[in-house]
Amino acid sequence: MAKKLIWAIPMIFIGVLFYWPLATILGRGFTHEWVHDIFDPKTLDVLWFTFWQAIVSTAICLLLGVPGAYILYRRKFRGQKILRALITVPFMLPTVVVATAFSSFHKWNTTSAIWIIVAHVFINYSLAVRTIGSQWSELDRSTEEAAELAGAGRLRAFVSITLPQLRGAFIAAAATIFLYCATSYGIILMVGGGLIHSLETDIARAAIGMLDLPRTSALALLQTLLSIVAFTISIRRGNSDVDFDGEGDGVNRSRIDRRDLPALLLTGLVILGLLLVPMVSIFWRAFDSSKGAFYNFTQFNSHGYRDLLNVSVLQATQNSLRNMLVSACISLLIGVLLAWLMGRSKCTRASRFFDLLLLMPLGISTVVLGLGYLVTFSNPLFPLRESWLAVPLIQSVIAVPLVMRIVRPAIVGINAAQLESAATEGASRAQIWQLIELPLIRKSVVAAAAFACLISIGEFGVASLLAFGDQATLPTVLYSLISRPGGDNYGMAMAVSALLMLFTFAVVLLVSLETPRRRRNPQNASA
Amino acid sequence: MFRIPKIAYIATVVLLLTGCAAKSSNDLVLVTHDSIVISKSLIASFEKSSGLKLTIVKAGDAGALTNKLVLTKGDPIADALYGIDNTFIGKAEDNGILAKSTVTAIDYADICFNYDKAWFEAHAIATPKTWLELTQPRYKNLTVIENPTTSSTGLGFLAATVARFGEGKWQTFWSALKANGVKVDAGWEDAYYTDFSGSAGKGDYPIVLSYSSSPADEANTAAILDGCFRQTEYAATLTGSKNPTGAAKLIEWLGSLEFQNSMPASMYVYPINKKAAIPESWATKAPEATSSLGENLKISQRREAWLKQWGNLFG
Repeated sequence: MAKKLIWAIPMIFIGVLFYWPLATILGRGFTHEWVHDIFDPKTLDVLWFTFWQAIVSTAICLLLGVPGAYILYRRKFRGQKILRALITVPFMLPTVVVATAFSSFHKWNTTSAIWIIVAHVFINYSLAVRTIGSQWSELDRSTEEAAELAGAGRLRAFVSITLPQLRGAFIAAAATIFLYCATSYGIILMVGGGLIHSLETDIARAAIGMLDLPRTSALALLQTLLSIVAFTISIRRGNSDVDFDGEGDGVNRSRIDRRDLPALLLTGLVILGLLLVPMVSIFWRAFDSSKGAFYNFTQFNSHGYRDLLNVSVLQATQNSLRNMLVSACISLLIGVLLAWLMGRSKCTRASRFFDLLLLMPLGISTVVLGLGYLVTFSNPLFPLRESWLAVPLIQSVIAVPLVMRIVRPAIVGINAAQLESAATEGASRAQIWQLIELPLIRKSVVAAAAFACLISIGEFGVASLLAFGDQATLPTVLYSLISRPGGDNYGMAMAVSALLMLFTFAVVLLVSLETPRRRRNPQNASA
Repeated sequence: MFRIPKIAYIATVVLLLTGCAAKSSNDLVLVTHDSIVISKSLIASFEKSSGLKLTIVKAGDAGALTNKLVLTKGDPIADALYGIDNTFIGKAEDNGILAKSTVTAIDYADICFNYDKAWFEAHAIATPKTWLELTQPRYKNLTVIENPTTSSTGLGFLAATVARFGEGKWQTFWSALKANGVKVDAGWEDAYYTDFSGSAGKGDYPIVLSYSSSPADEANTAAILDGCFRQTEYAATLTGSKNPTGAAKLIEWLGSLEFQNSMPASMYVYPINKKAAIPESWATKAPEATSSLGENLKISQRREAWLKQWGNLFG
């Protein structure tokens, strides 16, 4: 009974803050024009572009990810851990920063689609490496070695023996990367220069550019269906739980040898050319000013060239940090609670459905959600829109599913017998949580907190709609600066990007350097 | 000991409380598009004379600004609006977001092509006399314009082409423009500061869609003053404003000489008040267009159809 009441907290949270505004905005557009809009040739074009760029980006990520996973997770060498952290940085970077890096690389319209794909690979490469790598590192090496002894080359042994065993990881990585690429907003908006449209940017164009709610709603529904398919695949066919730093320090790893050279070269090339060059170029441009190396950073107190910004970069930083604290706290509370509830329940059809319901915020267009907030919460009874809290609240709704997926494996891993014996010895529920469960899941909670912080700091779609006036955040300020590059604005944009990059790097490094703690308690193992 | 949950509770409660603080009745919120500039000393002077506390909210480009206001109709994000132009005001009026009697013209500007004189001298190519010539082979890959879907500058030029060629016929001109390698940018700043060779950005394109007043600030550029689109910007009180009297005071002040005198220098637009001072150099460097067209079209009703057709050519 008490547990049912506790279930109500996350249900109400996600119901009020996610499904209600979503239903309101979709409902507004549900008219007879709606079917017509779905079969509009323009919509089909947009759908086709969304689809093929996501497929191509995913395929490239997986292809490059295999040698990467092999080198970084199946082999062993000095500095591996730092490298693993380094490749994660692009995935954690605010999309506006990535878009800033790539939009300055190209000059011609015709190649925009290619640059969009390159940017997507830049972001998601580490996702492929980690997902494939962490499963690979758990695989037994003996069959492969036997095959090699029997005369099969390493490549052949990989294709016939290892690859089938990695199938689950491949599917999970593919579904997730596809989803991220299909719903990407900032990248397509900025790198595409307003000429190339995916579902997500077309939703924004239909809503904010044209005020065409039937079309907005039709497109949003298409995107929702796409997300449901991708999620269902990743839940059914692979492990959908997120492993933040992909442990993978199993015993199955051997040192790098000469035959690894092709994989090593390819991975080195990807890390240097694809991942490092865009990041270094931002830094270089941040300090490249005729008025002194730090000039761009000294402009953080100003409102930009011709008073472009509502707030100075410093005030935007304060807003972003405040939003980050609030949204991380809320998403941790709700996410850990959910992980605890889900981790302690049996896996039934109902729980799997609920799992999907909880995942939806990840696959929904943030633009649609922001619009939903605009129209739902502007009544005097629930004036959330006027409050700055709207932005951190939506950010926490987006972060909750990830927090839950990071913490849940740790909670499932806690030995139930130990909790029971503590209870028989007279420990209260609160004591058990504080003294036994919490220390055991501490590491994943820290990882989840880091994740939630980075989601909030980098979130752009919602903030661009709801962070009015003096509530501007770092990504919205950055977007304003980079889309109006006159005067000092361009340099300031680069400096803001450099700072966001440093922040991301610091968080990722902190989490991955945290001393790994065994999840299993030695006492349990012997019991 | 792991303490985050406790801190989280406290922080959340404190922040919830501070987030709900009420606003006082002396507050006046003005919403504008991103390119409006009102200097701090002017704001201070208005606040002093009116006794109001003025907050300015920039809400994106002119289109996003209008649509956000339509979506939040009845409970507007501001009290007054400044910067909505003649391409969008019809839409705003149709949706009932403006108090009709308060709509007041404040400034105007002419959307004309600019070219980089130095570039044309160096390459010994004749400068274009009208934008009709931009489809000619000698101007191939030389022009950058703004996307009419995302930029009011781009939309003004699109309206001018519709007025020049007529509905159903303007597409031929645009196809020729595309075939001649015109570059389309999302916004004016991108086109003017990044891609135009005559500005500080030193871009690759010597012809840009900009304003007749832009050469006032760039020594070696000139505007094609024939066949421009005249863009007029308005101010108005928003329906449902919490401070309509304050909004009326502000609109009156925007039309006063104090503010009108500041506009040429701060925003490169012509003041609507004919008594307002215009810098002397503007007579030679930034004169008004000699002819303009497109303003009398029913832009708010036709816009979506135009943009759809334009999107079919360029999308």
